[in-house]
Amino acid sequence: MKKNTGLAFVFVAPALLFLLAVLGWPLVQAVIFSFQDIGIIGSKGHFVGFANYAEVLGRAHFWAALGRSVVWVIGNAVVQTVLALGTALILNQKFPGLRVARVWVILTWIVPTVVVVIIWRWLLSTSGGMINPLLMEAGIISRPIGFFATRRSAMIALILINSWRWFPFTALMILAGLTRIPGDLYEAARIDGASATRRFTRITWPLLQPTLVVLGIIGTLLSFNVFDVIWLMTAGGPSQATETLPVLIYETAFKGYRLSGAATISVLTSIILMSFAVLATRAMTASEANR
Amino acid sequence: MTAFRFVAAAGLALTLLTGAAYAEPVTLTWWQMEQPPQRVKRIQELLDEFNKAHPDIQVKQEPQSWGDVYAKAPAAFAAGNGPDLLNSIPDFTTVIKKIGAVVPVDDLVKDLDTKHHFIKATLAPYQYDGHTWAVPAYNMAISMWYRKSAFKEAGLSVPKTWSEWKAAAQKLSGSGRYGIGLPANKQLYTDQTVYSFMVNDGAADIYKDDGSIAFDNPKTVAAYQAYADLQKLSPPDSPSWTWGEAEACFNSKSCGMVLQFTVISSYNAQAEGDAADLGVAAVPHADDQSESATISYSNGIMITTKDAAKQKAAKVFLSWLLEPEHYGRFLNMEPGLFLPVTEDGAKADSFWNDPVTTKYKSQVETMIENSKNGKLFGFTTGKVFPSIGAISAQNVIAETLQHIVVDGQSAADAVKAGQAHMAEIAGK
Repeated sequence: MKKNTGLAFVFVAPALLFLLAVLGWPLVQAVIFSFQDIGIIGSKGHFVGFANYAEVLGRAHFWAALGRSVVWVIGNAVVQTVLALGTALILNQKFPGLRVARVWVILTWIVPTVVVVIIWRWLLSTSGGMINPLLMEAGIISRPIGFFATRRSAMIALILINSWRWFPFTALMILAGLTRIPGDLYEAARIDGASATRRFTRITWPLLQPTLVVLGIIGTLLSFNVFDVIWLMTAGGPSQATETLPVLIYETAFKGYRLSGAATISVLTSIILMSFAVLATRAMTASEANR
Repeated sequence: MTAFRFVAAAGLALTLLTGAAYAEPVTLTWWQMEQPPQRVKRIQELLDEFNKAHPDIQVKQEPQSWGDVYAKAPAAFAAGNGPDLLNSIPDFTTVIKKIGAVVPVDDLVKDLDTKHHFIKATLAPYQYDGHTWAVPAYNMAISMWYRKSAFKEAGLSVPKTWSEWKAAAQKLSGSGRYGIGLPANKQLYTDQTVYSFMVNDGAADIYKDDGSIAFDNPKTVAAYQAYADLQKLSPPDSPSWTWGEAEACFNSKSCGMVLQFTVISSYNAQAEGDAADLGVAAVPHADDQSESATISYSNGIMITTKDAAKQKAAKVFLSWLLEPEHYGRFLNMEPGLFLPVTEDGAKADSFWNDPVTTKYKSQVETMIENSKNGKLFGFTTGKVFPSIGAISAQNVIAETLQHIVVDGQSAADAVKAGQAHMAEIAGK
């Protein structure tokens, strides 16, 4: 079959143009703003060269937010992978009510963020919330605790809530990967007397790797950019404990009235994420080539 | 020829008359930040009434949230889609003024003052740089709320000083109840409650006359220390509270006292609704002070159109709104929360005839009384500095408290850091 590159470009062009309009132009604007000194949106700015970059990179605030973003991404990756893998393995079995279970599990994912926030704020509240009394009843704590009152507990609670929301999506992706593993491999392993653990480590885990790597890349990018649940739940607090880079960008632009500063952090964040995506994709391609 | 002239003149007259008869009314878009459905409904009722009485002017409301409007309004003005009327609080006015989107309302306010007599404290935060930048619309002031029965049971009288207040909170603590509910979130509510302590210790001024920051002083440190001491008697999740949680804590009897603008509406609808048992008092003052003060600020309405016809129409609308027969109904879009900014508004039948306001009349009277000694950070020296907008938006006052409550810093160190942050913002 003869390749027709020109025709292919014609078909792809509308989508590319759309992407350029909705992604490319704002990015170009952000780069332009990052070289100016615009304060409030709508006010005029002047060219200041790399001054914003020098200021942002010289501030401990930026590096602290980047560090928190890394903690946030790793925390979410670990918790979501564990929850999603377990769920996918269960949903990959045959049992009565399987279809209902597969639909039921995605409910948390389709609930709007603001509803998730209201539900969890209420559940974790010390005035009428359910979690504190349950933990006290179970003897785990002796008096109510404020889940968003300390630096460590706030980040942990947020990671758990965000993971609770997103793990069904990951579980469905893993489940799709599991269904692609040929059943006769398990059958042969069973005949050879392989235990369930051995079947998992020698068949499931290796053959699931491509799916997990792709999920890892997409999940990292998605998690890194999460803003809504953090902002609505803690607004980056207490005492900046959950202020990740997207929250810092918002704070800088809309609370600090430093649009150019926010644009600078946005550009740096984009560079970090693009670098990660390129490196991860290359590593994945190399790994597949070696297989 | 004469016949031709007659026909031409008649035709011209008819054209002019038809044009006048079918002239488009001036349409005003009003961004107001009172989103709860009952408030939107009441405002719409008033707008329908106004629009019917003024066929040449049509005002339409577009409710916005305070959380979004600081970002949305400047962006809208930059894109040429800004509203013609925009609700404001004093620090937000400085933001909109900085981008040149607000027009002075000197003459209008002068006329309204002659007619209705503004309460001076509500007008002052909008008067600087030789002009008045918004028409005050309603006032809000923080008070201390409690249950009389709980105080009686504990053998307490209403605290007047911080020592008495702390003793009362300690006595009310226990049996599943927290003595007091004080927020420590980095949020506007915490800014306001902390400032209520500052003004009660003589630390109201954040700026010096020359615009430099005057935050770091022994009075401010003492106010933060007193707040942090009382905050220990609050629920453990109070560092993440917004207004709603504090009100819920009070209504569920989990908190013995709270600082709020009002609890009347939710107490009436979701708690006991016993007007005789609901106590409200001035925020207690430092032991070495002689009288109580509070944070208080008026919400205003800015005219943000450059179109002369729209400006004229906006003035007609705002004058209509402050007429006593309409104004009381406007205030009672949330009974027991919004306080009058004019002297005749404070006496208006339309204000006092509302069933909830009538039921809680003594509480509302106390709120009005408390508001008379109200102050607002950044607007106390007679000079207004633009950086107050960013200081307020970044919640530096609340952030300073978090350094004490969450990070365990001493009040002196936290206030020092707060001063540095404010100075950095002011220097940009």
